[in-house]
Amino acid sequence: MLKIEDLHVEVDGKPILKGINLEVEAGQVHAIMGPNGSGKSTLAYVLAGRDGYEVTKGRVLYKGQDLLEMAPEIRAAGGLFLGFQYPVAIPGVSNIYFLKAALNAIRKHRGEDPLDAIDFMKLSKEKAALVQLPDELTKRSVNDGFSGGEKKRNEIFQMAILEPSLAVLDETDSGLDIDALKVVAEGVNSLRGPERAMLVITHYQRLLDYIVPDVVHVLIDGQIVRTGDKDLAKQLEKEGYAEVRDAQPL
Amino acid sequence: MTKLSPQTLLGSLPTSFETGPEWLRALRGRAAATLREQGLPTKRTEAWRFTPVRSVANAEFSPEQGSAPSLTSPVPEGVTARSLRQVLEAEPTLLEGRLDLGGPPTHFAALNTALFSDGLWIDVPAGVAIETPIELVHAIPTSSERGVAYPRVLITVADGAELTLIETYAGEDAGQLTNSVLEVDLGRNAKMSHARVHENAGLQVGRVDVRQDADSNYRSTVVTLGGALLRFDVRCLLQGKGAECQLDGAYLIDGEDLVDHHTLVEHQASHCRSRQSYRGIVSGNGTAVFDGIVVVHRDAQKTEAHQENRNLLLSETATVHTKPHLEIDADDVVCSHGVTVGSLDEDQLFYLRARGIPEDLAHSMLTYAFLESIVEGVSHEPTRARLREALLTRIPHGDRVRGFT
Ligand SMILES: Nc1ncnc2c1ncn2[C@@H]1O[C@H](COP(=O)(O)OP(=O)(O)OP(=O)(O)O)[C@@H](O)[C@H]1O
Ligand SMILES: [Mg+2]
Repeated sequence: MLKIEDLHVEVDGKPILKGINLEVEAGQVHAIMGPNGSGKSTLAYVLAGRDGYEVTKGRVLYKGQDLLEMAPEIRAAGGLFLGFQYPVAIPGVSNIYFLKAALNAIRKHRGEDPLDAIDFMKLSKEKAALVQLPDELTKRSVNDGFSGGEKKRNEIFQMAILEPSLAVLDETDSGLDIDALKVVAEGVNSLRGPERAMLVITHYQRLLDYIVPDVVHVLIDGQIVRTGDKDLAKQLEKEGYAEVRDAQPL
Repeated sequence: MTKLSPQTLLGSLPTSFETGPEWLRALRGRAAATLREQGLPTKRTEAWRFTPVRSVANAEFSPEQGSAPSLTSPVPEGVTARSLRQVLEAEPTLLEGRLDLGGPPTHFAALNTALFSDGLWIDVPAGVAIETPIELVHAIPTSSERGVAYPRVLITVADGAELTLIETYAGEDAGQLTNSVLEVDLGRNAKMSHARVHENAGLQVGRVDVRQDADSNYRSTVVTLGGALLRFDVRCLLQGKGAECQLDGAYLIDGEDLVDHHTLVEHQASHCRSRQSYRGIVSGNGTAVFDGIVVVHRDAQKTEAHQENRNLLLSETATVHTKPHLEIDADDVVCSHGVTVGSLDEDQLFYLRARGIPEDLAHSMLTYAFLESIVEGVSHEPTRARLREALLTRIPHGDRVRGFT
């Protein structure tokens, strides 16, 4: 599904990612953990195609194709989804119509007919119920005046509607209370399947109790310094990043 | 045909100038004297620095035509709408002291004062709240000759009364000059919601003078969608304690067009609030000018005044001159002003694209949203719908945004 090979990325001439290697297969859930500023969001943004990141070395294959060549909307149409760490508010653009535009743009790209208003409303109601997003929020402007937790729920709501094949979730659990965390995790789990994969960025082992990962990576200073199974997350929680890094340096 | 210079215009004054009540003749006489002395503004006139009226002033115009604005339907019961000319003939004392609310007129307003031959007086008596909006249409005549119109409107909303007024200025011929003056007098606790829409408006110089008593509320939204040269001056005098005004504007400028908004809000009494939000999109070789002044007099304690001008530049050859400023003589006030001139927000664009929305559609969605937030403030739903539609037909790829709004 996703193959990252020796990826080096600079921002404003400053190296941030320093040789990332990562392979995610269909059906798998990978977790990425790491201290603040280690480059997790940078990796997520590079995968989604945000401007301002210069890839100085390496490549990324998505479903066998060169991902870095594609415009962000083409990546999305190809089934890539980024759940933002800090979702931006867009006053004046209604959440629900924005999402309909997104879904239909993706469907068009795939050669499918657009969903009409009635079918879309049905789908939206069903998915909003799944992540317990109040109806009122689906109609408001995108993330405008949403609380931190509501924004995160809205990300998962969007993911549930777009049904991506690869979801990159950047700290979707941050700022969520325990109940919301369960709701979000259920939303994510309901999307798991043999055809889909997920890259879950988190600081907390807690999330991984609900979304049990197949593989856990530790990213420190732009490099993956350790890879293990779900127990690695537990060890990190107990011992901290420094211990884990020093216990087994590169 | 005659040139629009004060000399030629005033040289051939219409007969209306010599008729009418004594006070009106004096008023017109003072306006004419001011004009002879000042002439029309030039590049050296500070308030007209960016707005070249010389090209207008030197053009040849046929004498006045079609100046009386028309009502789209009879006014609701309780309200009167009368021809200014008729009132001036029959009961001139009713209007004495009410046609120079904004003080001695200058430049174009002086020209209007000297030369207007008819107009409209809408009066809402005390305590009458009109829900149905009154719609005024200023049709800009389509003719091969360039004409000048001097629409003159007086609105009086007495104590506790309410009015919604929708004005539309529209035409096809960019050669017409409309030089309008609109005066608004709001009594205590009076309320007025005022929308002005300028579509294909040719050459326009318009002035709105608002005088507000205690606890009155004036809200205006000016939307300009095309016009070679549009210059609007709005002045609100907050004379009574607790008066509020909100002045909003949305402009879409393209080609060689120029839109110039000048606002002046004077806080003369305490506990008044004013809010201004002007937003526009400038592309092609277009020019936007915004000059907003908030004056807080010494006694106007507990004033709250906010002023904002935001511009989206969509081409390298588009120009924005913006200058909001505050003159504050009181000490217990909350005031703010802000200006932005820029392009679309990169984070918002990326968010939309990361969800699969193509770049050009994402641009259109954000462009539309930027102006829609102003249009949203128009209280009259059919007008709001019409404006949204007009925006969609004018922004790039707007038709694709339709259905997503
Ligand atoms: N636009 C930028 N300009 C300069 N430095 C940047 C920019 N974006 C990111 N960085 C730097 O890159 C490094 C990695 O940032 P990134 O956001 O990827 O960290 P992170 O692992 O997601 O951290 P957190 O856990 O706090 O979210 C940081 O040192 C950050 O300051
Ligand atoms: Mg981050």
